[in-house]
Order: sequence, then C-alpha cells, then structure tokens
Amino acid sequence: MKILAPLRDWTEAAPLRAAGADELYCGLTPPGWEERFGRAWVHRRNPASAGLPGLEDLDRTVAAAGPVPVYVTLNAPFYPEGATPFLLDFARELVEARGVRGLIVADLGLVLALRQAGLAGRVHLSSLATCTNPGAAAFYRDLGVARVVLPRHLALAEIEACAAAGVEVEVFLLNDGCVFEEGLCATTHALGPFCLGDGEGAGGPEPGVRERYAFWKWTLNNCGCQTSRGFQLGPCGLCALPRLRDAGVASLKVVGREASLARKESSVRLAHEARRLALAGAGPERIREAVVALRGAPELCRGAHLCYYPDVWAVPEGEALAC
Amino acid sequence: MDRPPMMEYALRLETPLLLPPDPRQWCAAAWGDRLPEGRLAALYFGTEFCEDRLPAPGEAEAFCALAARRGLEAVLLTPVLRPAGLARLDALLTALQAWGRFPAVVCNDWGAWRLVRDGHPRCARRGGRLLNRGLRDPRALEAGASGVGAGAAGGERSRLLRDFLREGGAAALETDPDLEGGFLGGAGGLQRTLHLPFAFVTSGRHCLGKAAAAATPRGGPFAGAVDAPCCAPCRRGPSREERDDTPVPLWRAGNTLFYEVPEPLAAAHLAQADRVVLHRRPAP
Repeated sequence: MKILAPLRDWTEAAPLRAAGADELYCGLTPPGWEERFGRAWVHRRNPASAGLPGLEDLDRTVAAAGPVPVYVTLNAPFYPEGATPFLLDFARELVEARGVRGLIVADLGLVLALRQAGLAGRVHLSSLATCTNPGAAAFYRDLGVARVVLPRHLALAEIEACAAAGVEVEVFLLNDGCVFEEGLCATTHALGPFCLGDGEGAGGPEPGVRERYAFWKWTLNNCGCQTSRGFQLGPCGLCALPRLRDAGVASLKVVGREASLARKESSVRLAHEARRLALAGAGPERIREAVVALRGAPELCRGAHLCYYPDVWAVPEGEALAC
Repeated sequence: MDRPPMMEYALRLETPLLLPPDPRQWCAAAWGDRLPEGRLAALYFGTEFCEDRLPAPGEAEAFCALAARRGLEAVLLTPVLRPAGLARLDALLTALQAWGRFPAVVCNDWGAWRLVRDGHPRCARRGGRLLNRGLRDPRALEAGASGVGAGAAGGERSRLLRDFLREGGAAALETDPDLEGGFLGGAGGLQRTLHLPFAFVTSGRHCLGKAAAAATPRGGPFAGAVDAPCCAPCRRGPSREERDDTPVPLWRAGNTLFYEVPEPLAAAHLAQADRVVLHRRPAP
C-alpha cells in the first residue's frame, strides 16, 4: 500500500517524500490552454490555488521526486469541444518527455483518446469517473487503464468487490470530503462549492435533519478547515487500513493540493504511522488509539464522524439503521 | 441538418398508468406548446439516480406489459450501481427474460453496460444521460455561462464516446440539456434522445429523505448509512427548494437535485434530438 500525496509546488516534493509519501500527484494547466479554451478548468480543482505554475515547475518536481513517481491530473469531468486533441498532445509530452509516470483522467473521451494513442497503461482513472462496482472496474481493466481510483462513498465490502476485478485500486485515505458523488455533480467550484449551501434555503429539510446535515458537511469540509496539534481534522480512513490491506488496495490517497505544506506533511506522517501499524498486524482499535494519541480530537473518532469508512466499526446490536 | 419528419416521444412512468392521447400532455401545459408534434414510441421506467429505486421484477414486468399492449418500446432506466445494485440488475433482467420480456436498458454505468452486453444481449443498450458529465449548474445558467448550447454545431465534444458506443453496439445516446451543448452530435447510427423538461444538477449516495426517515447509526445518518437499505420515501414525490445564490428553483427528488430547463436551452438541444423523453415530475 503506497501513500499518494498531493503537491502544488516543486519545493514540497522532498519534504513529502521525507514524511513518507511513495507517490506524488499534482495539477498543471497546459501552456496555451487559456488562450484556446478560456476559463474552463483542466482539473477538478482550481488551477490557481491547486496547480503547479508551469512546465519548469513540473520538471523541478520530477527531479526533486527522484525515484518517487509523479502523476499529473487531467481530471475535469468533461472538456470543451476541441480540447481532447490538445490534451492528448500535452499528455504525450508529459509522459514521453517530462518524466511523468501517469495521468489521472476522468473524461471517458480523453481515456479513449489516450488508449488509441497507446497510452492507456499510463492512465489512472479518476474517482470522478465513478467506478463503483466490479463490472465497471473490469470494463476499465479491459480498456487497459493502469489504476482505478474508487470514489469516496463506498463501503469496505464494496471496495473489496471492486478490488477483486483484477485492476490496481486506489482509495481515499485522508482529508477533503465531498457531499455529493463527485463524478455526478454537474456544478462548478468556479462559482463556489454548491454543496455548502445545499439544504439551507427555503423549503429545505426539517430542522432536525438540516442540523445533522450541516454537521456532516462541516466534517467533510475538514471541520471548518481546522487542525488539531497540526493535523488536519478531516475525513479519515486510517482505521480501515487492515481491511484495505487485505483487499489488495495498491494506493492510499491523501487529498488537498491547495493545503499548506505543513498540513500535507502532517497528513502524510499520520498515514505513514498508521500504515506501519497496519502492516505490523495492528487492528482498527490499535490504529485509532495511535492516531488519537498523535492528532487528538478523540470525540470525533468516538462518534465515527470523520470516518470515510464507518463500516470498519461493527454497529452494536439494536443500533442498526431502520428505515 | 438531419431531422426526423416528426419527433418521437417517450414517457417516463413511475407507475403503470393510463397514457395521454398526445404525449406532450404528459408534462406541464406550457411545454406542450413548445414541443413539436410527434408520436409516442416508448415507455421508460426504473431509475437513473438511485439503485434503491430499481423496480422489483413484478413491477418491471407490469411496465413491460403495458408497453407491449400499446405497441411501444419498453425502456429500463438504470443508475450508477454499487456491487449489490449490479447483482440486482442482473437478477431483474434474468427474471424479465424468463417472462419473455427484453426491455431496452439505459446504462449510466459501465458495469451495467458490460452486464447487459455480455449477459443479456437481447436487450438493446442505450447510453444514459449520466455519461454526459457536462455542466448543469443553475448558478452558471443565471450567470449566462458562455457557450450555452453553442457546441451543437460541431458535435466533436463527445465524438469518441459516441464512436465507442456505436461500435460497441449501442442503439442510442441520451442526455438532458447541459450548458455546453453538442453532446448528442449529428445523426450517425445512434438515436439521439433528450430528456425534458428537467435537468439534474447534482446527485450522490447520501439522501436527505433517507436520512429523515432513518434512525441514526454510528457515523450519522449520512456517512454511516451509505450501504443501509432505504424504504424510498422519495416515492411520495419531489419537494421544492430555493437557494440564496440562484433564483432558479430546484426540486429535491430523493438523492438528486433538478431544475426545469429554460426554453432557449431546451430549444438548442431539441434541434439535435430524434426522441424526447418527457418527465411529468423530477424523480431519482
């Protein structure tokens, strides 16, 4: 299980490696993109706050990463007319001339274009492509993609089923939740996160549900962007590592390219320690104790409020969901 | 531009009901005046957004029987699926097949696509509207997003996807009106199908209706309930919601938000459609 860490500046590569990152990913807007396609984003995230500034910075990032592979996101959910050939040329340059090991892609049209160009083996299918079952994983395996990033809102048994399809699997491990299914959200963060205002207006849910919904959204938003002892207080799948290990998950994603280096470093250190415990045979309880000892905020763990995968904890008799 | 002499219509049903003499009467009266004349060709049932709303075999058979009695094509809508949902779809199609029913299947999930292709080849496959990940943000609509429907002329935007579907044996490609346009492309082997009058805005696994109806498990009624069963309180219908950041009214239907598309946006997409699927109300 590799730890995949985000970066937005080449100077972050070395400290993230030192903290325990085995893989790095970043976003980069191709030169000339804005002239041709205006303000459309090449990535899911804002290029101004989450992307590398240019190709020189990418070269420095790859050099600073050394043997650690660097992946580049081209993961907008769709692209404007004429963009696919443009991005295909850019993708070729990245992997053939710039030392980029792989491309994180969401749009099926771009996946198909990369496949036609013989580059399917360099594609990591983004979580935005919503691969959520073993049949879909097998579909992408048959297209030749190297890895499938599973979306956030899957239960552990569902991850296990997808991982059995015979394609390398990556899952979310730390930080930055998403209220809706990311790949099925047809809104744009360029106008601000649509989800933050969901359910808040006239005609929304009744107050009790609204309150619980607001609390859940707050946890997904890294508890209002808070830290505890320098660790980001956000969605977390660390206690699920033993099951993710057994499922054969290849890579563990730490999210948040926009975050400060200090937050990213501390997240990677926390992931590294939890993985060490999991590989040594520790169970969820032992991992949780170690995480809380480092990070604090035990109350958020007690209620499983930060859990990406709350099903790691057995639901006590009589507390099962009834509808 | 290649256009059929008359529009072909389909109705999306939530229960097997009496059908109107003119399909355009299925949705709000104002839409009837905006739509071209045409004949009813198909009945749609099932769900595009929530696997908990996949019909039971008996319910699906009733839709197929109604379609057969009227000489119409039966079309099963299917959503993005988790492993259990994919197994349910397989069981559903197997049961229908045993009764001699072979509905066309709208696939919004590549696992479903593969299942129907390999396991239920007598069912025609249609690419669903969730394959179009184009923008439907009501805030962008209000802000006058550039290129609303502007891609309609070129049709290059989704050409590789359309080629892939056609070569893979698909019968059709579907969408609702997005803000980019051009997704359905020109005529060329795939029937181009447009859903009206509602466009989806966003969807997900977490559902306020389910949360309201449920007890609170560990992890809360949202994260803690992703794989919990649901009694589908959304069957009672959508609820209207308003937001401070857009004047466009929304409907919440189960796990999905919708808005009614403005007429100019619908018109830009209608010019590319061979079939229109009319929805009486937003439904997941």
